[in-house]
Amino acid sequence: MPRRGLERLDLLLLAIEALDLHGSEAMLWSCEQLGLSAAFPDRVALWKSRCRNPLRRASRRGELSSQEQQGLVQLVCSLSQRLYPMLRQLLSSSEPEQLNSQRWELFSSRYRELIQERMNEKRGAIRLLIDSSEGESLRRQVVQTLLFCAGPGGLQRLEASLMDGSR
Amino acid sequence: MTNFSLSGISSFSSAQLKLHFEESSCRLDLTGLPDVSASPSDASDGVPGQRLSILTGWELNLGQRAALQGKLEHLQALVAAVQPYVRHLVSNHPCPQGDPSSPVSLEPRGKGHRLQLRSSQANTEPLDLQLDDAELADLTQCLDQMLQDQRLGISLPLPAPQPLRRREQPRRKGAATGWAAPAAALGALLITAGLASVIPLPERKRPAAQPPAPTTSQR
Repeated sequence: MPRRGLERLDLLLLAIEALDLHGSEAMLWSCEQLGLSAAFPDRVALWKSRCRNPLRRASRRGELSSQEQQGLVQLVCSLSQRLYPMLRQLLSSSEPEQLNSQRWELFSSRYRELIQERMNEKRGAIRLLIDSSEGESLRRQVVQTLLFCAGPGGLQRLEASLMDGSR
Repeated sequence: MTNFSLSGISSFSSAQLKLHFEESSCRLDLTGLPDVSASPSDASDGVPGQRLSILTGWELNLGQRAALQGKLEHLQALVAAVQPYVRHLVSNHPCPQGDPSSPVSLEPRGKGHRLQLRSSQANTEPLDLQLDDAELADLTQCLDQMLQDQRLGISLPLPAPQPLRRREQPRRKGAATGWAAPAAALGALLITAGLASVIPLPERKRPAAQPPAPTTSQR
C-alpha cells in the first residue's frame, strides 16, 4: 500500500473514533466479529498496526502485512456501516442547518483533539487538517469517504482508493 | 442507532419475481421472470425458478422527488454512471460520468451531484435532479445490494474498482508549500553565494622590500 494510502487509512479510523465516543472499543469488538483476531489479537496489536502511519507522533518503521492491511480496510468499512445513519445526517442537506452545524462543530473539535494528541503537528498535512478554516473541506472529505465506503460495495471501493497512484 | 433499513425481499406471484432494495431516501424495485430453462445449479440456493433472470421492468423512487421506470438498458446505464462516480468520490476526485447522449449522466454540481436522466421518447426533456451526498449514498447502497444479491440473474457488466493513476490523483493541499521551505533555503544560499563572490577581496599587502641587514664579520 502506498504511503498516502496508509496515512488515509489511519485518519479514517481516527475520524471513526471522533464520531463514536466508544470507537476504540467498537474497533476491538468489530475485529472479533469480523474474524480478525489473528491479525489483531488485542488493542496493542491494533495500535501497533495503526502506528505505521508516518504522520503519527510516534510512528513505527516498516510496512503493514497484507493481512493487517486487509483487516484495517475491513474494519473501516464495517464501522462506517455501523455509523452510516450518523454519517448520513452530517452530509444531508435536509437536516436542520443549525443542528447540523452543531454536529459538525462537535465532530471537528473531537477530531482536532485526537489529531493533536496522536499526530505530528509539524507535518504540513496535519497542520492543514487541524486548521479551523482550511481543514473544513478536508474533514468533510474524510466523512464523505466513510459514507461512500459503507455498504456491500464499499470494501472494494476503499481498497482501490487506498491504492491510488500505485499503477 | 439505526434509522435505516436494509431489505432484499422477494415475493412470488404466478412466476413473477420482485426484488426490493430500500434505504432512507431511495427504493429500488425490480420485476422479472425466472429463467425456467436454467439448470438448478444456476439458480439461487439450488432451487429453480427463484432467480430473477429476465427483467421486465424496474422502478426507482427517490423519496418524494421522482419515480423513475425503465428497462434493462436504463438500469445498466444507471449502474454504469453511479458506480464509477462514487468510486472517484471515495478518492475525493469527483469525475463526471456519462456523456450527453447516454441515458444517465452524473456530475458534481455545487455541494451536491447532478443526476440527469434522458428518456428514450422523443421530445422529452431530461429529468434533472440535484442529489446531496446522503441521497447519493442511499442510491449507491441500493445498487450495491442489488449487484450483490444472489437472486438476481441479470448480468450487469461492471469493471472492478481500480486505483487512480498517479496523474489522476487530486493534488494534495499543502504539497506546494511543502517544497517552499527547502526551495527558499536553497535560493537564499545561492543569493548569498552570489553576493559574496561580487564583494572584492581585500588585497594582500606585500611587505615592503627592506634593505638587507648589514652583516658584520667579526674576527
